[in-house]
Amino acid sequence: MLIFGWLVYTVILSIFTTHDVIMPNTFRIILILLFIITQPGFVFAQNKKTVNGNVTDAKTGETLIGASVKLTGSATAGTVTNAYGFYSINTQEGTYEISVSFIGYKTIKQNLNVAKDTRINFVLEEDNQLNEVVIAATKRNENVSSPQMGLQKIDVKDINSVPVLLGERDVLKTLQLLPGIKSAGEGNSGFYVRGGATDQNLILLDEAPVYNASHLLGFFSTFNSDAIKDVSVYKGGMPAQYGGRLASVLDIKMNDGNRKTYTVEGGLGLISSRLKVEGPIVKDKGSFMISARRTYMDAFLKLSSDSSVNSNTLYFYDFNAKANYQIDDKNTIYLSGYFGRDKLGIADTFGFNWGNATVTLRWNHLYSNRLFSNTSLIYSNYNYVIQNLMEENNFEVNSSIKDFNLKQDFEYSLSNSHNLKFGVNAIHHTIAPGKLTASETSSVNQTTYEDRKGLELAAYVSDEWAVSDRMNLVYGLRLSSFSLMGPGNIKSYDTEGNIIDTKAYKAGEFVKSYFNLEPRLSASYQLSNSSSLKGAYTRNIQNVHLMSNSTSTSPTDLYIMNSNNVKPEIADQVALGYFRNFNDNNYEFSAEVYYKWMQNQIEYRSGTDLRGNGNVEADLLYGDGRAYGLELFFKKRFGRFNGWVGYTWSRTERQFDALNNGRWFYAKQDRTHDLSLVGIYKASPRWTFSSVFVYNTGNAVTYPSGKYQINDRTVFYYTEKNGYRTPAYHRLDVAATLEGKPGRRLQSSWSFGIYNLYNRQNAFSIDFKDNPDDPTKTEVVRTTLFGIIPSVTWNFKF
Amino acid sequence: MRPILFIAIFAGMLLSGCEKVIELKLDDSAPVIVIDGGINDQSENQIIKISKTYSFSEPNKFNGVTGAKVVVTRPNMSTVTYTEVSPGIYQSVKTRGVPGNKYTLDVTIDGKKYSASSMMPAKVVLDSLTFKQFNLFGKTTTYIAVNYKDPVDAVNQYRYVLKAKGKIEEDMVSNDRFNNGNKVSDVIFYKLEDLVAGDSLEVEFQCIDPNVYRYFYSLKQSSGQGGPPVAPSNPVSNFSNGALGIFNAYTTSTRTAVIK
Repeated sequence: MLIFGWLVYTVILSIFTTHDVIMPNTFRIILILLFIITQPGFVFAQNKKTVNGNVTDAKTGETLIGASVKLTGSATAGTVTNAYGFYSINTQEGTYEISVSFIGYKTIKQNLNVAKDTRINFVLEEDNQLNEVVIAATKRNENVSSPQMGLQKIDVKDINSVPVLLGERDVLKTLQLLPGIKSAGEGNSGFYVRGGATDQNLILLDEAPVYNASHLLGFFSTFNSDAIKDVSVYKGGMPAQYGGRLASVLDIKMNDGNRKTYTVEGGLGLISSRLKVEGPIVKDKGSFMISARRTYMDAFLKLSSDSSVNSNTLYFYDFNAKANYQIDDKNTIYLSGYFGRDKLGIADTFGFNWGNATVTLRWNHLYSNRLFSNTSLIYSNYNYVIQNLMEENNFEVNSSIKDFNLKQDFEYSLSNSHNLKFGVNAIHHTIAPGKLTASETSSVNQTTYEDRKGLELAAYVSDEWAVSDRMNLVYGLRLSSFSLMGPGNIKSYDTEGNIIDTKAYKAGEFVKSYFNLEPRLSASYQLSNSSSLKGAYTRNIQNVHLMSNSTSTSPTDLYIMNSNNVKPEIADQVALGYFRNFNDNNYEFSAEVYYKWMQNQIEYRSGTDLRGNGNVEADLLYGDGRAYGLELFFKKRFGRFNGWVGYTWSRTERQFDALNNGRWFYAKQDRTHDLSLVGIYKASPRWTFSSVFVYNTGNAVTYPSGKYQINDRTVFYYTEKNGYRTPAYHRLDVAATLEGKPGRRLQSSWSFGIYNLYNRQNAFSIDFKDNPDDPTKTEVVRTTLFGIIPSVTWNFKF
Repeated sequence: MRPILFIAIFAGMLLSGCEKVIELKLDDSAPVIVIDGGINDQSENQIIKISKTYSFSEPNKFNGVTGAKVVVTRPNMSTVTYTEVSPGIYQSVKTRGVPGNKYTLDVTIDGKKYSASSMMPAKVVLDSLTFKQFNLFGKTTTYIAVNYKDPVDAVNQYRYVLKAKGKIEEDMVSNDRFNNGNKVSDVIFYKLEDLVAGDSLEVEFQCIDPNVYRYFYSLKQSSGQGGPPVAPSNPVSNFSNGALGIFNAYTTSTRTAVIK
């Protein structure tokens, strides 16, 4: 197996590196290779019996991800369903009891006689009862027994009941309440994972990378929770099938759509309205889901009679669509897409819009009872357009990053103790940093900055190995490469940022290639039925980097790839953890410690201008990073009252020879303490109350340690980089949900929320300026963005 | 070419945050020498100001350094020695620089020498000032724009210093990256709303070298004006030996406008 994966990869690589093959040819070769390995003759020798099938929801027909399937009897074997609700278990002939369970669903148990390869599908019914006895009847210690470390799952129901800013449910903000994951700022959907920056998170929506996951300058995420089925975040110990970013993997899967009946649901909120329609295409065979969200702040602008008000534009929308069709027992196809856009416009002065589009076409195929295959063809595009409409200096800027991505993943159940995953991946990137167009009368000249093209190739193999009853391992290796490709005039720079060489490359020519091996290992040792020790080591590589010189993210931030000067970012992380469940798995506790080394981190020289800068690499600085911390997590999982406490103690530092006199300094994402409390209480069948409290140490920032005069104006003198702290941040939010009376055709609910209940004046920014009334004095001015903010949302479903 | 500024304005309108003056304890660093001045193309008494940094909590002042030796060297190696006319203010005899020439400033304080060089660029003249109005959310705001013709065959950097009623209100830089060779009308985003009829506005228009441009660009960036806030740092000075500030050899032309 392993050998084969490497073979495929080395063949692809040797073709790439020894000849100047143009892109279409290289893709053709990959396709041919994929064709070969997917031939029936390629199936491996079988000697044991296989039990496999799908697990779905009884009411909607949605496949269930991560449902546990267990055989007990003649032997013991178990697995969980994959991203497509499919499971496959190898075992010997015999009689068994098979049990299928999934949190929030009634467990199925039945007897099964395995004499030959058996296909058996399960349909689970939702368990709406609050009776704790029923829930406690099944063992749910997956969090303890699984070898996977650093993985945290979010229940979509939690996203819907946790209070949020302006009532906009938001998966990214709920994520920030978990230990090790920190908010990038007040009301911001950006997040930092274990000392990583916001661009070091791999955010996948149905496998498609989403480059800019925020709306409205970061206040809302692009993920409409109506359309989301499963959210997993890896803070470390990422399995080998994931790669490309340093700090984390956020894997979001969209709903497939109801295969049984048509349903419509939606909501009216203060900021936006949502609508989702889903239903069968062919009953029990295929379904579709369409979900849309749009804000309507601009509708209020339109109410004004003043043309300088009502001619302004300000909104964003999200559109998710997905369809699937099960052709037969062995083949299913999925097509999913996301389109979202923000639009701002100031009358006839200025226009600005940005957004993502992703399309994923997938084909699930069962080559044999033991070999599951998924082939994905993915398109991802992020772009922005800026228009200046003033006549003398009108212009339009277009910038984009566009990916074509081909993935071939296999899952092979080798034996009852080994489950293999392996595959290959090729991503072709095109970054268009900017095309500047202007009318003839404009003072702005037309300019096009050269596109940059890059090719990322990867091959991986990963094995989940049940070493013994107590010991489980997931280990694997990922070989990744990145090549900067022509056409283009590629420059090289010395350490001072001076150009030392410029070379012209033709289309398809290789400028510079980097190869990396990324070992991944995560292991668990069960101390008892309810406690375990886990450990992980992970190396991650990042080849595409986001350049942001502002303290927050902006839609105009610049993406760059590895080049002659920019090297792949490397992170090595080790983590150790203790996991313990109490009270029949009703309570879950974990403690994890981690240490991470980072190489080839990127910062800027002072005074770097990223706008239309074709020479931005001249201003980059390279250095190292380190991050370490302790994460504690305690959760009450079931019952009328549930919730969790997450606490993180951490340090994140950087070292650059050219910054801070070469001394280590705190990165902006360094926060010593970070505490989140979440409580959800179901008071009655109709009323649910919830509350969130967060506290964190202020960010590391640079404040003045003196001042002086330049041209009669006050200028501040800075000594240590990020040597100060913003004031500590804390906030309490509450929410209440009232469900409509049950049994009606139109089901509706009201959500009421209060953000920042005690009106804490948290610092969004701290500025230093001269007092306008007394210019001899310099003042420290704190800006608070959100005080106490109430919200209300009406949701419906029929 | 300041889309970021528009975004900032827009965001500011959306999120009319609450501002409050707070107390913050800041460290006091050891004083550092600051040198600020230059030489222009006008025959006048050229000025170099030398001061030291001081505590953030003190009232704003010019913390002048006396007794420095200040010498500017011309390309032909002839020198101009500046004399101290008041504490920290050093003045030359009437002299002028010539575009295309490189000037070097040597400042010696307590035996320690700080040196910087600057190349005076070719001159571009400020043609005129015009008023521009923007309608944003029902509010009309007037700004002033500088008008000039950028030469096509050179890379140019400019600095605009706006004085309203004799006080410096805006000090910004620009270059010809996006509009080389064109007639340029660049808006200075300083709100003129507090001014009344009869008030005068003066814009000094300088042509500066790339290091000076970067110095002032970085200064502006750190102040958070003209775009989203950037992690602040000291702008890169052209002085040796750790002095702050800038030595600027520049051409200058000034226009005045009166509010009607």
